[in-house]
Amino acid sequence: MNAAVTKKQIESTLTDRFGDVFERFERLPPKTLSTGIGEIDNALHGFPRGAITEIHGTASSGRTSLLLSALAAATSQEEICALVDCSDTFDLSSAAKAEVDFDRLLWIRCGHNLERAFKAVDLILHAGGFGLVALNLCDVPAKTVRRVISTWWFRFRRALENTPNALIVLTPIAAVHSCAALVLEVKSEASVWSNSLSLLSENRYSSFTAQPEHGGHLSLVQTSLPTFSSNKDSHFLQAMNIRVNRERPVEWQTREIKFKAHFH
Amino acid sequence: MFACIYDRIVSKTAATDSENETGFSPLVDLAFTFSPLVEQTKADTVVFDVTGQDLLFGTHPNVLANELNAQNDSVRNVADEIARRAAKLNLKINIAIAANPDAAIHAARCCKGTTIIDGDDVLLHLAPLSIRKLDYSLARVEADRAEEIQATFALWGVCTFGDLARLPLAGVAERLGQDGVRLQKLAQGKTDRQIHLVRPPIGFEQSLELEDPISELEPFSFILSRLLNQLCANLHEYALATNELRLRLVTERCLEYRLQSGISAANEKDPTEVGVLNTCDLHERTITLPVPMRDPKTLLRLLLFDIEAQPPSAPIIKVSISAQPVKPRASQTGLFIPLAPEPEKLEITLARLAKLVGGENVGSPESLDAHRPDSFRMKRFRLATQRKKSRSNLQSVIRNPQSVMGFRMFRPAWRVDVETIQGKPTRISARGQASTRIRGQVVCAAGPWRGSGDWWRSDVWARDEWDVALVDPNARESKVICRIYRDLTNEQWFVEGIYD
Repeated sequence: MNAAVTKKQIESTLTDRFGDVFERFERLPPKTLSTGIGEIDNALHGFPRGAITEIHGTASSGRTSLLLSALAAATSQEEICALVDCSDTFDLSSAAKAEVDFDRLLWIRCGHNLERAFKAVDLILHAGGFGLVALNLCDVPAKTVRRVISTWWFRFRRALENTPNALIVLTPIAAVHSCAALVLEVKSEASVWSNSLSLLSENRYSSFTAQPEHGGHLSLVQTSLPTFSSNKDSHFLQAMNIRVNRERPVEWQTREIKFKAHFH
Repeated sequence: MFACIYDRIVSKTAATDSENETGFSPLVDLAFTFSPLVEQTKADTVVFDVTGQDLLFGTHPNVLANELNAQNDSVRNVADEIARRAAKLNLKINIAIAANPDAAIHAARCCKGTTIIDGDDVLLHLAPLSIRKLDYSLARVEADRAEEIQATFALWGVCTFGDLARLPLAGVAERLGQDGVRLQKLAQGKTDRQIHLVRPPIGFEQSLELEDPISELEPFSFILSRLLNQLCANLHEYALATNELRLRLVTERCLEYRLQSGISAANEKDPTEVGVLNTCDLHERTITLPVPMRDPKTLLRLLLFDIEAQPPSAPIIKVSISAQPVKPRASQTGLFIPLAPEPEKLEITLARLAKLVGGENVGSPESLDAHRPDSFRMKRFRLATQRKKSRSNLQSVIRNPQSVMGFRMFRPAWRVDVETIQGKPTRISARGQASTRIRGQVVCAAGPWRGSGDWWRSDVWARDEWDVALVDPNARESKVICRIYRDLTNEQWFVEGIYD
């Protein structure tokens, strides 16, 4: 209390000589871009505009699901989006299911060249007008991402300042550090499989194929030959439960954010 | 002063299609050599302004005694010069010079040779002309009405211009109305009107033949800049823009080839013929723009990026740029529409990106209507012009409460070693790009899903797909869920991608 009073007294004394140097500009609450996932929007109010958002996690953790939801939400809001795909892994089928509007998406395939990817992001940020820019480094090895010089991130942060654009960086490990306004770590908690299922790890010397029973439970039936599924859907993984941890900015009371990504 | 040229040959043959390469008749071309203010009244009649021509063709002022004689002499010299140039073009013409264009037209049509009418002598020259020679169209009288008036003049006994000119104005106006008044002024040679100018053809092509061949881009950019500035100025003058630029570069070897072959310079203008001769030395590029634009800096950058990506094979000796004129873009954006990149800036950014990663790697993805997995094509990225129904609040953005599971597709698919038991994968090990790898024990697998297609093509595909969950006890990473498939054509296993 005394320190605060003393500080105020010093500031008021110096204000007469140096003007309003101690007046801090009132920062407006940052504008955000919807993530497209209700659970995250309720907790974080979306991705901040004019700043970098980093989403990191291991393989199959749900980073791409989060990105697709954000792209779908942004394109549905008539934002022009850009996806800088370092490893050329963007899947059109899942993006179409997520309702990403391809007419509003600029896809840049960098052919596993990290330097090109960063240069492409730099060009796009300086061109302006792209509501959401995503840099996908998911398949870049962690040690390579760790070696990215920090000036790139500072440069991106500077280019984004005072613009309505948001940059999302998907990495295997946290790499953007202090340049990111929001850092999210995503983890996959469990995966939900469809009724046609083989559990080989439990019994490796005999094969089982699940048959649906009433109520959706699985029953393991031994089969001698591989049984081809009669399921009309081409894939069997149904959903993933994904947990999102906010690492930055740090809050005293951390809220657990969970959402479920479905295959269909 | 106005000069009128009347072509006697054209009037007899009524050949109106004799146009040269400029798109005009020889009469108009002849008139343009004297003045830019030219009116083509009819196919055989051209009027142009010769005011100020005495500075070019007049007698030297020191030689002349008085000013009036000097003026007469200068007008006479202009007429002589017109006659001389017409003779060179084998034109048989009548020339008349008068203070107003209509008087010059009537004099040229009715008087053979050269007629020069001073300001006060108009009626003297026009009075003896037959009333049948009166051009009713100059008085904006329609054909039916003209026939009526001609019959009236015959009844009145009006046979010449002079007869009509001497009629009382009030009486003419009372009987023939304003048409009669205008016709009387025509006959008197007292009309006062602006001539209807012939516009020269709009040229949206600029070309330059270089003295020395240029092989470097930087000095060439200055030449391109100059040409584009002129081109855009022309577009701006006509309130137009362009959506297509055509660049034509003649390189040194091409020129040498042409000279050796003895090809005439006239043939050089025919691009198809030149293309037949030596297509590789004629560098032609067409840049299609998504929106009409006329900013020379933007166009210059786009051209330079294009030349840099596909440079000509030899030093450039001649350059020509043509633009397709279109109406400029008119768009009004709403206050509540999200910002989009400026079209000009976006084009430059796309060109730079294409230069960075290759043109085929930049654009909007488009799924193909095919069963083959991962069939898509890249199309050119264009700003969407059609607005969709905007969503007003945040809740409406979250359309689907179930978010979709993402998938990362490996291109190309990774080759994988798979251990199987009775056809089912139990352990896999794959190494991909940049020393990334996927390996581990299969803890959960689902499949197979058999798919095949394109059996009528050489690249037939047939495979059994599995979704597998892997756990690598040596790795820090948790469970990895990926899609693998066995290619039935060669019995090899591949990792298609990772669920993420």
